[in-house]
Amino acid sequence: MDFSRVGKNTSTFTSPNFLSLLKCAGCGMEFDPWRIHTFCPTCQSPLLAEYDLESARAKLDRDSFRYRRTGMWRWYELLPVNDPAHIVTLGEGDCPLLRLVRITREWNLPYVFVKDESANPTGTFKARGLSAAVSKAGELGIHRVIIPTAGNAGGAMAAYAARAGLDALIYFPKDTPRANIEESRIAGAKVILVDGLISDAAGVAGETARREGWFDLSTFKEPYRVEGKKIMGYELAEAFQWELPDVIIYPTGGGTGLVGMWKAFREMEALGWLRNAKKPRMVSVQAEGCAPVVKAFESGAAFCDFWTGAHTLATGLRVPKSFADQLILKYLRESGGTAVVVSDESILRAQQVLCRKEGIFAAPEGAATLAALEELVRRKWVRPDERVVLFNTGSGLKYLDHSNGPENGPAPR
Amino acid sequence: MDEKILCIEDNPDNMILIRRVLQARGYRLVEAETGLEGLSLAEDREIRLILLDINLPDVDGYEVARRLRTDLNHRAERVPIIAITANALKGDAEKALEAGCDVYMAKPINIHELWARVAFFLPRT
Repeated sequence: MDFSRVGKNTSTFTSPNFLSLLKCAGCGMEFDPWRIHTFCPTCQSPLLAEYDLESARAKLDRDSFRYRRTGMWRWYELLPVNDPAHIVTLGEGDCPLLRLVRITREWNLPYVFVKDESANPTGTFKARGLSAAVSKAGELGIHRVIIPTAGNAGGAMAAYAARAGLDALIYFPKDTPRANIEESRIAGAKVILVDGLISDAAGVAGETARREGWFDLSTFKEPYRVEGKKIMGYELAEAFQWELPDVIIYPTGGGTGLVGMWKAFREMEALGWLRNAKKPRMVSVQAEGCAPVVKAFESGAAFCDFWTGAHTLATGLRVPKSFADQLILKYLRESGGTAVVVSDESILRAQQVLCRKEGIFAAPEGAATLAALEELVRRKWVRPDERVVLFNTGSGLKYLDHSNGPENGPAPR
Repeated sequence: MDEKILCIEDNPDNMILIRRVLQARGYRLVEAETGLEGLSLAEDREIRLILLDINLPDVDGYEVARRLRTDLNHRAERVPIIAITANALKGDAEKALEAGCDVYMAKPINIHELWARVAFFLPRT
């Protein structure tokens, strides 16, 4: 893929990307990004990619990116793959930012948008992270990738591994939506169902990875999925003319997108791309049956307790404890944001409202953000003049075994 | 600082990590590689906190916690227990808490969290 000749921008770049090192989010230890790494061997925190933003600032023109071929990889210089030949893409990224019309009129909130990630390959935002991680894994000479997943990350990994020619092994909880299991099998991945939650799947997958030499692409247990997700932040900034929205409401399981976007906002600030220093208040949404981040946020804790007995129909939110819990909590607080819990009933209701009034058949996790907005409006935490972005992380079509739309019923209020 | 922490862990790499991390904060560690050895040390020594692996070669961590909590005469009956495990069976966290552990931590062990968890039970003055 030669980005230098894409679109109207005729200027060429000869340097690859600006990736300079990996840095531990916990202890600050630095690592060589041209070697294979997982997480920090010293303090066991996630590693985050750092870029030479000073050089990037001098060389990159933020306004030129929009003329490139659409998709996540048009931000190539700020992504971790060194040689474009290693990029594994299915056209992920640049998903629509839709302004809600009917709902917002009724709620008297004129500036509410949905970033509709269901437009990604494999139908969810997981495509972004797995495109980045699989690409980088290939570049580093890795041939076998493994993942424990609540569902959608498995489908995405299977697709990208297939395109890259990598062996894929996926551990799902037994009650994962059927679409995720089928799409993974059809893409040629080996699928193993585990009696338990994603945390249980993670235990088995980690053991297998160590024993059999698979590379583990678990959330935050390698440094690059978050890089793919961060591009959601760049796309938002560009769409809002480099002035970030006031509030971002994000469904939080592993929290990669939330951490990634906050990272993107900091990078853009260092690049001098933002029109002002104001960053969004980040809101983490979780389900009543599994809300470790909300509990920790409300109690002022720096990390989450493992949530026991986790249950919710929003399988992507059924994460008893994220590996990046400390980062999620830190960024929520740094942003002046909050964490909101919503019930499964309110998620289903919001899913119907979004579809019947706006035509967006959202995943339950995405619908949860509308339920959360309703709660935040009730609390007067969101002002009518604020620009709010909800993240629909995937398509409702992947959850047909959980949907319960009324037959020809009236549009829900 | 003379708080003694009993660490019951059969994996030498994990034991080294825990030892290094806690000694760096001035805690003193008593080490056991099996559940029975751990129970015995908890009886013999003045232990203030127990870090308990679940997969152990003789009696598992659940059983260690259960025995400590049900034996009212055991010296360590009220000592807080942090379960630290990479168990891959359904509901291991629930089982650990039901068995009498106070906190559950999954491996890999994040040292910042471990420090905070230990400091909660053994605050540094």
